[in-house]
Amino acid sequence: MNVRRWAALTRRELLKISRNPAAIVTSLMLPILYLVLFGQGFNFGSSLNSLPPAARPAALHTLFLGAPDYFSYFSAGMVGFVGVTATLFVGANVIFDKLFGSLKRTAASPATATDIFGARLVEGSIQPVALAFLVLGLAILLGDLGLSGLHVTVGITVLGAFEVVVAILLLSLMFASLFLALGFTIEQPQTYFALVNAINLPVLLTSAALYPWGAMPAWLQGVASYNPVTLAVEVLRINFFGDAFYPYAAWVYLLGLIAWAAAMFTIATLLTNRALAPKV
Amino acid sequence: MTDAIVAEGLSKTFNGTVKAVDGVSFSVREGEIYGFLGPNGAGKTTTLSLLTAVLGPTAGRATVDGLDVFHNPHDLKQRIGLVFQESTADQDLTGRENLELAAALFAVPLRDTPKRVGYLLDRLALADSADRLVKTYSGGMRRRLELAVGIVHSPRVLFLDEPTLGLDPQGRAGFWKIIEDLRKEHGMTVFLTTHYLDEADGMCDRIAIIDHGRIVASGTPSELKDRIGGDVVTVRPLGDASALVPALKALPGVTAVTPQDGTLRVKCPSGDVLIPKIVGAATGLGIALAGISLRRPSLDEVFLEYTGREYREDEGPTATDRAVFMTRFQNARQGRR
Repeated sequence: MNVRRWAALTRRELLKISRNPAAIVTSLMLPILYLVLFGQGFNFGSSLNSLPPAARPAALHTLFLGAPDYFSYFSAGMVGFVGVTATLFVGANVIFDKLFGSLKRTAASPATATDIFGARLVEGSIQPVALAFLVLGLAILLGDLGLSGLHVTVGITVLGAFEVVVAILLLSLMFASLFLALGFTIEQPQTYFALVNAINLPVLLTSAALYPWGAMPAWLQGVASYNPVTLAVEVLRINFFGDAFYPYAAWVYLLGLIAWAAAMFTIATLLTNRALAPKV
Repeated sequence: MTDAIVAEGLSKTFNGTVKAVDGVSFSVREGEIYGFLGPNGAGKTTTLSLLTAVLGPTAGRATVDGLDVFHNPHDLKQRIGLVFQESTADQDLTGRENLELAAALFAVPLRDTPKRVGYLLDRLALADSADRLVKTYSGGMRRRLELAVGIVHSPRVLFLDEPTLGLDPQGRAGFWKIIEDLRKEHGMTVFLTTHYLDEADGMCDRIAIIDHGRIVASGTPSELKDRIGGDVVTVRPLGDASALVPALKALPGVTAVTPQDGTLRVKCPSGDVLIPKIVGAATGLGIALAGISLRRPSLDEVFLEYTGREYREDEGPTATDRAVFMTRFQNARQGRR
């Protein structure tokens, strides 16, 4: 990868984002609505009120894996949600750049497929991290405003904070790679968005991002435990609440995420190289 | 003088059946402006895409600036400039930012970039709008920016794909003035595709006429016109004119008579002298004429000669456009307003 070309292409992406604040607001709207409406209204914890007070902590632990309430559990899940949904635009941008001709210009330059892919991947992976921290900040703020909010029950260490950042970064890297591969391969925006929906919903609905772990059927727990969104979210929950569905350290979950990200990155690189090679 | 571009038996077939380019061979000398002329779908852009490594060939080979196009695409892209027929600039960036991006992509030395970008903005009359977003540019400004991006790295060979498509005559004349000046200043070789006959005639040192993927004629514009063999008189008889053909062939100076779509194309050195004789011959045979016209040798005639059909007017400029373009182009060349 040529550093100057990569930097110039990254600058282009950042300039374009900074000139389109509507896109930033739009990408923030979905997680805000989930936190303010879905998270507030979907109060799983109330079902435990009928239990004797002594039995509640164990039941709570079974249901939310150490999180003190559903909203706290769900807030960590929302970070995983953002890690997927905030990467959608990278692939869509590739398709629009194809339609408007600017990708043709870049592909006709000496910039390699790695330069072109790399600049978009970096931008597509960093933005979800920033967005994820906004989501966490808002989740904590909601608690301070007297609504359901995120309550962190264990002290977060520097290593823990680092693990959280790496987890979100790996998750968004994986999905940015996937959506970039689709963007470089697909020509029509309609096809892209149809495919993205066909991927997004199953990925999110087979993860432990939204469902309380204890309320999921065994088969769904089995599927969810391999889901990259679950792996990332569990790194957050370990560091926020001190527990996860397997008794492993966070780095084990991170290894799983690295494997997912590496696999998707490799596939995406191959597809992008093929898409940008001269058409034979 | 060496050859800047050499194509040998270049072919490109799409989906295994559609032959867009069919065994094209030609060479372009260093410093030359070489035009590929033909109607839409003739294979012009496909040939250009092959020469710039945008497409891979089905068969054949090509070298540009001494580099094998299909084995050194990366090195090739550094040496050539390419101006697409559509706008490829980023709409959400300013003209200056687009040029800075292109300078980085084409490895213009970092410390030279501001000077080079400033020079091109000045040279292409974009300095006043350099810091405006491209989406606010007019069609002519976008074309000039495309050209600036195409030559930001001072390429040795510049490829232009229908570069003036959609411009008004004044814009086209101004655009070609810049190309000609840049060619003189930097000695660039220019390969262009166009379906504007007047552009090919006025701008190109040599032309290849391409039709259905094959080169049907090539040479300098005057060589091609000379090959027509003089003027062409088109006679439009009323009714059956078969008896008129031998009579016209017998007239002094007539070199060929070709029936075409209900007309007779009569070639001769001096059409104005021949017209009264044609009218006399037709009157003598009792054949009424609906019309008669004289055309001096032009690329329209060349096209008709080699392809057997009229150049399709709906794909080229109107006669008025051509006249206005040529007047403005000649004025621009002579530095008049």
